Amino acid sequence: MSRFAFMVSLYRDYFANYMKTKLSYRADFLVEVLSDLMFNGLNLVFIFIVFMHTPSLGNWSEAEVVFVYGYFMIASGLFSTFFSAWNFSERYIVKGEMDRVLTRPAHSLSQVMLENMDPPSIVGAIVGLVIMITSWSTLGLPFHWYDPLVLIVMVLGSCFIYMGIYTAMSAISFYSDAPTGIGPLIYNIQNYGRYPVEIYNKTIKFLLTWLLPFAFVGVYPASFFLGRLDEWWMPWLTPVVGIVVLSLGLGFWNYGVKRYRGAGS
Amino acid sequence: MLAIDVHDLRKQFKVQKNREGLKGALKDLFKREHTEVAAVKDISFQIPQGEICGYIGENGAGKSTTIKMLTGILVPTSGKLVVNGFVPYKDREKFVQGIGVVFGQRSQLWWDIGVIESFQLLRKVYRVGEADFRARLDELVETLQLQDLLNRPVRKLSLGQRMRCELVAALLHNPSILFLDEPTIGLDIVVKTEIREFLKRLNKEQGTTILLTTHDLQDIEALCSRVIMLDDGRIIYDGGLEELKSRWGKGREVQFQFTDPVSLAAVSAYTGDMAVRWSLENDVTAKVWIPREMNVSDVLSRVVGQKEISDIKIFETNTDEIVREIYQSGSAEAPRDLSALSDDNASEKEPAKAGAGER
Amino acid sequence: MISMYLDFVRIRFLMMLAYRVNYYSGIVIYAINIGAYYFLWKAIFGEAETLQGFTVIQMSTYVAVSWMARAFYFNNLDREISNEIVDGSVAIQIIRPYSYLFVKMMQGFGEGLFRLLLFMVPGMIVVSFIFPIELPKDPMQWIVFFVMIWFSFLINSQLNILTGLGAFFFENNQGLMTMKRIMVDLLSGVVVPIAFFPGWAISVLNWLPFQAITYLPGSVFTGRIEGADVWNALLVQVAWTVVLIIPIMLVWRAARRRLFVQGG
Repeated sequence: MSRFAFMVSLYRDYFANYMKTKLSYRADFLVEVLSDLMFNGLNLVFIFIVFMHTPSLGNWSEAEVVFVYGYFMIASGLFSTFFSAWNFSERYIVKGEMDRVLTRPAHSLSQVMLENMDPPSIVGAIVGLVIMITSWSTLGLPFHWYDPLVLIVMVLGSCFIYMGIYTAMSAISFYSDAPTGIGPLIYNIQNYGRYPVEIYNKTIKFLLTWLLPFAFVGVYPASFFLGRLDEWWMPWLTPVVGIVVLSLGLGFWNYGVKRYRGAGS
Repeated sequence: MLAIDVHDLRKQFKVQKNREGLKGALKDLFKREHTEVAAVKDISFQIPQGEICGYIGENGAGKSTTIKMLTGILVPTSGKLVVNGFVPYKDREKFVQGIGVVFGQRSQLWWDIGVIESFQLLRKVYRVGEADFRARLDELVETLQLQDLLNRPVRKLSLGQRMRCELVAALLHNPSILFLDEPTIGLDIVVKTEIREFLKRLNKEQGTTILLTTHDLQDIEALCSRVIMLDDGRIIYDGGLEELKSRWGKGREVQFQFTDPVSLAAVSAYTGDMAVRWSLENDVTAKVWIPREMNVSDVLSRVVGQKEISDIKIFETNTDEIVREIYQSGSAEAPRDLSALSDDNASEKEPAKAGAGER
Repeated sequence: MISMYLDFVRIRFLMMLAYRVNYYSGIVIYAINIGAYYFLWKAIFGEAETLQGFTVIQMSTYVAVSWMARAFYFNNLDREISNEIVDGSVAIQIIRPYSYLFVKMMQGFGEGLFRLLLFMVPGMIVVSFIFPIELPKDPMQWIVFFVMIWFSFLINSQLNILTGLGAFFFENNQGLMTMKRIMVDLLSGVVVPIAFFPGWAISVLNWLPFQAITYLPGSVFTGRIEGADVWNALLVQVAWTVVLIIPIMLVWRAARRRLFVQGG
């Protein structure tokens, strides 16, 4: 059995277990979906309030900004469905569950991901898709047969970026057992990638494009569909950047695991 | 063939120093100080296949660190390490297919779902075939009597029930080596006995090599033919349990209860020039300590008939006490002068009580 | 008695100091947040001189000061309390000879003090060099501001305690805590000053405790609230601090009863 097929089958089984767990706390599922949507609602409310006072945000109309937000929701919702190890440091390093993970015959990161999947987040992705489609028609954008395919490629690229960054972030706990507070830092920065990057100054624009490339989980790929192609190749960098960031993140993780096993706790 | 082969195994940790007070904390903000601490100091031992070996030592002696290295969780600082034909930290994913691990204080089962679901999931993780899994599970479930528990969520199980399930979880893939870290911690005596019996049977029938750490020396007495004792990262004893007892056993003690009051001088006179030591518990109770090489019956025959005796009790030194002694002296190399073991140990010589080291 | 509680402040302060990466990243977090919102607001203003009575300078001052105030009043008491309830350690805390909630409050204060001295002060200095902000010249304004963020801390901590105690009653308290966090961020005026909300929303928000957390002190600091209105703003904060004691007492009583009945 190939490694990939093995992972897919494991995912199915872990998912089944997740569902069984959650069915015993049915209310949780709902609460999770609701608070997820509320969080996205907060951001949308911000956008609506802002556009009550200005017709455009750095040349971007309200519908366009909402469109970008829809794209952002798809990517981040999909990502959170498969990766939700926010308390990695606490649970796996401080409480020592990493030891158990390391006594099992599957890649450590995939085990951690499987144990922390969060299917309710998929609802956010679906709502995002609805928002995107609605703004699509509001904006009267043309629809091409290849658009869904491009969307899939872009979303995958964006998810890879998330995965790479958050994998690297979790892996920090292998190097230092102290809480680093980097989680909220990254989380905050991720939110700024969905506004048009032109509004920021050079430093922040550079940061969002090349250092923590969250602009590729929002404004860059979405601009392909919006037809705002100041630099036509920018959206197409999304999958490329995704693969690069993911490989870096995985490398950092693997190295961290080695270090953890060297340093111990 | 050796199941575990360890040569000069060493593990050092970097430990952060926290300076004291506000000023120290502010300094730490900019510059940290570290010290190197060796948890395991160049130990060597070999365990052949099919052996049950007890790995004991006080808290912080380096037991867990060793187990973690043997199971591939930690990478040693230096030394040679081969377990089951693998170097654990090198080919981790392949290596762990062949071992089972139970951490007594940590669960490997999913908390909220039925036990059987956890087993099913582990079957997938370890890639055990459905038929093999069934056969194996049926067998384990029957020996450990888990039939009624299989559909209960783990959080609804008692500690004893959970520990039996943990054992099954660690054995589903039929490992040839089983590592147990404090498997009986916190369990009551009945469950402890059950688990010991199960492990013995597993070892006999399947030839599974077992390495267990424990604080409960009853585990060791019940299971292990061999003991490795660790103190401050070094092995201070490695050998048979019987040998340990005979080398360290301090002899026996016999307590006489007389009907009438006696004096120390009077009872001492009964044994004359024999190398025994008398002590008085109260005015009608006297105790005599008899070295290991002397026959108890010789002493008894001298005393019985001298005076009316209402009761006689014989105390054998138990492992608990031996181990405690060794820890106190810090070495098992040479037993100290036996007379140094004064009588104030006597009160501890109760007939076997469960788990002295248990928290 | 007092000195014991002060010790909780001190210990938490030292605990925060022990994690230096946390310290450095904290400064960066606040710098980036302030920077991003500054540019966002600059883009929103576009050509406009003022929006809802805010000048650009006032707006950037407001953004900077509200994030800095957030550094002081923000804490994770809700999650701490909730976790302690779930893992049962609250039972041990309750039998100790001190008021559990007061101790939590003090720990939150130690955390706030840490951020105030080590994030807010250096952060504010850095920000005032990079961005065009206008600091108040009247020393009175400074004093009132510090008094007001003290009340911000009290009100926010009270809300945190309330949601944290929710864990006694709900099997999963995560949802409630997330919702509270969102409400505080959105409705207290960190993300958008209350004045930017539509009229009906403003009149609703005036009757909620959230505006007292960020919007009121921020408005005093930027000089949008002046003269006698300053005292009104302070009064609103005091009133909310007092009013919020009631639900906390009620919930705490119910929670303790529940704890004793269920045995934790």
